[in-house]
Amino acid sequence: MAEISDKAREEFFSEAQEIIETLSRNLLALDTASREGSYDPSLINEAFRAVHTLKGLAGLFGATRLGSMSHRLEDLLDALRLGRMVLSAETLDVLFSAVDAYNKVLELEKAGIDQSLPEVDALLGKLDRLGAGVPDRSSPVSEYEFDAGMLAVLTEYEEHRLKVNVEQRLSLYRLRVQFDLATIDRALEQIKERARLHGEIITYLPTGETTSADSIELDLLMASKDTLATLIGALGADNVVIEEIPRRRAPDAPAPRAPLQSNLAMPLPSAPVRAGDSMPPPVRETDRGGPMEKERSLRSLTQTVRVDIRKLDHLMNIVGELAIVRGAFSRIAERVRNDGQRQLAAELMRLHRNFDRRLSEMQEGILEVRMVPLGQVFERLARVVRQISRELHKEIRLVITGAETEIDKLIVEELSDPLMHMIRNAIDHGIESAERRAQVGKPNAGTIALNAYQKGNHVMIEVEDDGRGIDESAIVERAVQLGKLERADVGELAREEILGLIFLPGLSTRQSADDVSGRGVGMDIVKTNIGKLGGVIDVHSEVGIGTKMTITLPITLAIVSALIVRAEAQVFALPLASVSEALSLDEASVRVLDGREVVTLRGSTLPICRLSRLLNLERAQDSLTRQGFVVVVALGSRRLGLAVDHLYGQQDIVIKPLGRSLRNVRGFAGATELGDQRVGLVLDAAALIEEMLVGSEQPRERAGVAHG
Amino acid sequence: MADLAKVAPARPLRRGMDRGPVREFLVFGLAGELYGVELTGIKEILSPPPITTVPRAPREVVGVCSVRGLLVTVLDLRRRLRLEERGPTRRSRILLAMADTGEVSGLLVDEVRQVVRLAEAEIEVAAQALGGDLAEHVLGVGRPGGMFLILLDLKAIVKD
Repeated sequence: MAEISDKAREEFFSEAQEIIETLSRNLLALDTASREGSYDPSLINEAFRAVHTLKGLAGLFGATRLGSMSHRLEDLLDALRLGRMVLSAETLDVLFSAVDAYNKVLELEKAGIDQSLPEVDALLGKLDRLGAGVPDRSSPVSEYEFDAGMLAVLTEYEEHRLKVNVEQRLSLYRLRVQFDLATIDRALEQIKERARLHGEIITYLPTGETTSADSIELDLLMASKDTLATLIGALGADNVVIEEIPRRRAPDAPAPRAPLQSNLAMPLPSAPVRAGDSMPPPVRETDRGGPMEKERSLRSLTQTVRVDIRKLDHLMNIVGELAIVRGAFSRIAERVRNDGQRQLAAELMRLHRNFDRRLSEMQEGILEVRMVPLGQVFERLARVVRQISRELHKEIRLVITGAETEIDKLIVEELSDPLMHMIRNAIDHGIESAERRAQVGKPNAGTIALNAYQKGNHVMIEVEDDGRGIDESAIVERAVQLGKLERADVGELAREEILGLIFLPGLSTRQSADDVSGRGVGMDIVKTNIGKLGGVIDVHSEVGIGTKMTITLPITLAIVSALIVRAEAQVFALPLASVSEALSLDEASVRVLDGREVVTLRGSTLPICRLSRLLNLERAQDSLTRQGFVVVVALGSRRLGLAVDHLYGQQDIVIKPLGRSLRNVRGFAGATELGDQRVGLVLDAAALIEEMLVGSEQPRERAGVAHG
Repeated sequence: MADLAKVAPARPLRRGMDRGPVREFLVFGLAGELYGVELTGIKEILSPPPITTVPRAPREVVGVCSVRGLLVTVLDLRRRLRLEERGPTRRSRILLAMADTGEVSGLLVDEVRQVVRLAEAEIEVAAQALGGDLAEHVLGVGRPGGMFLILLDLKAIVKD
């Protein structure tokens, strides 16, 4: 691999990653379909193609492990798609474990580590055990009066599909279609599209009876359950002639059976016809892995551009800088107007508005590029669900809604681990055993719902199960055992507080540590990781009915609207996503409750926190005369009033992370440029709420509940 | 923003053939002493822009500032080396240094003097003699043209 550039290697890995994800997606769809008792040949085909492409790529990059693994898998998938093997749950298990093995191999290859992988050996062993396929059954195709020429050029795959369709007692039709050479690609697609509603097109071949130089005639072999009349109604046209292929009277009359490799000698359909193909893959036994095939499969994947997210960050930084230029622009226009040059000022303002509009478009464009559907991470989770449910012998129905909800790519990357922990917990602790479910009259299969939706500037993700719910007394008992809670305080805890205990480190309601999620690591890490993304997590649970965990996340990390505030002499930005309202502070209405300042807001008590005191800011000169404000920040169900000295208004900001030497400083999400070269700190509302409400709102007597 | 060209070597040093490779050091003053850091580690020298203090930050952090869109944490080198403290003056400068992680930090120094070239053999390994907090940050001592120069290991300073 020495002569291959780093960039090409990088491309190779991300492409391989993409292909593996596609493969995983196909397998999941196959799994779902097979449990519903149906079977979609195109899924097997796609899986086959994915593995085949991967093999080709691996060959190009000298990744031999990847290559040999793919080769073996390809054989298995080939046997499946040609009907030599039946897709069983065991086979699917092996295929799923292949996805995991692929990921491990990729990781090692990427790190350049040449180390043997037990996963791969195990996989190869399993592939061996699946062994050679079921022997061929006798062909019922001979019952039809086939044109021997047509039968002879079928690929093994097409022959298999033909056989399957005939076995299902479908009728066979021949569609003779005239195509204009200039538009054949599109026209063929269209007819295939329409035909798909009525059956399957098994193959198509040029008849060789061309009537003019710029047209071509194809025979399409189609299987359908519909009658000839229906098909003529649906597909008939001036250039389409449909005939039924008659069944023979005597079924035992032997038809010439197509020799497997005879297609070598037969004329291949012309290239433009095949290029537009998308339904049955044109992978012929003879050109598998050949240069033609490799070239085509590589080309088909280059319609998207993969971009390092840091490059997008860089672009976003430039947008931020341009916004500062924009500000200077409008100030100059203002000055020119004040100097009396109205005409010039008007022109400048027009330019400024234009610039402003384009800049927002650019900002939106960059943001859009960063957004990816949550489906990416949900698919990975579906695999986890399948795996865990098989490990624990619990039948699980996974219901996903809102997979199309979009969120910042960086957030998606960080979400899969926390969500995986939550789902493991839900299946292990939440869903009861089948016997128990039967006793309480619940359906056999437990349901895990994964819902995502957008709510204003936030994305909500819910993980919901219909299991036993959280046993509050067990949680409390465990917390007391671990010394996180004094027994005397138990009575004072609100229901919500008790549920919040599951986020304490080391807490688990299981006594044994040998099951999937019973080690009690997990929920505290989940909470920390979600917190790092600026999100919060809430729990609702009903005993006997189920548990619902709701994650609230900001939609993007790159750019946010913020409220600019001042406390003493220092200016801060507070992301608007966490601000619910702002009001002026009437010092006379501040009460002290349990050692903390509170105000009454529309009949409910709002704890307030003076930013200058919390951050220990130096007194500014106007301290005594000014009028204060309260900014109400809310996350999930928690609210806190931040008392500040001045509100400047709203501004879009690009949040930049603080450097390493400031990584332990709590309360700030980063910093941002406010114009005039000045930098303002961005307050981390979630951390402040956490610090104020969880850290010290707990009355001192209840200090036994340890946090963090 | 000072241009590096303006702080060219005061006088070119002999390139001793047998004295090892020559390294260039930027000389700056700090609490009455002269220090040197290897020039290759310095990206830029700035007059201090407005710096925003960060509440709750470690003592040695002066604050954060923006250098053409890049957020930079500024460390007070006096505090970092536990020297006597003093606020910035007109002559104060910020040296931008890049850590191995790619992060750029700023180091606030009293003044920037010049660039000197030292051959490997001219660098005395004298860290032990200095002792205390300084030792872990010091490469050695150089005496170009009668100066007494404490050579600092920039990477160790901006590491954490």
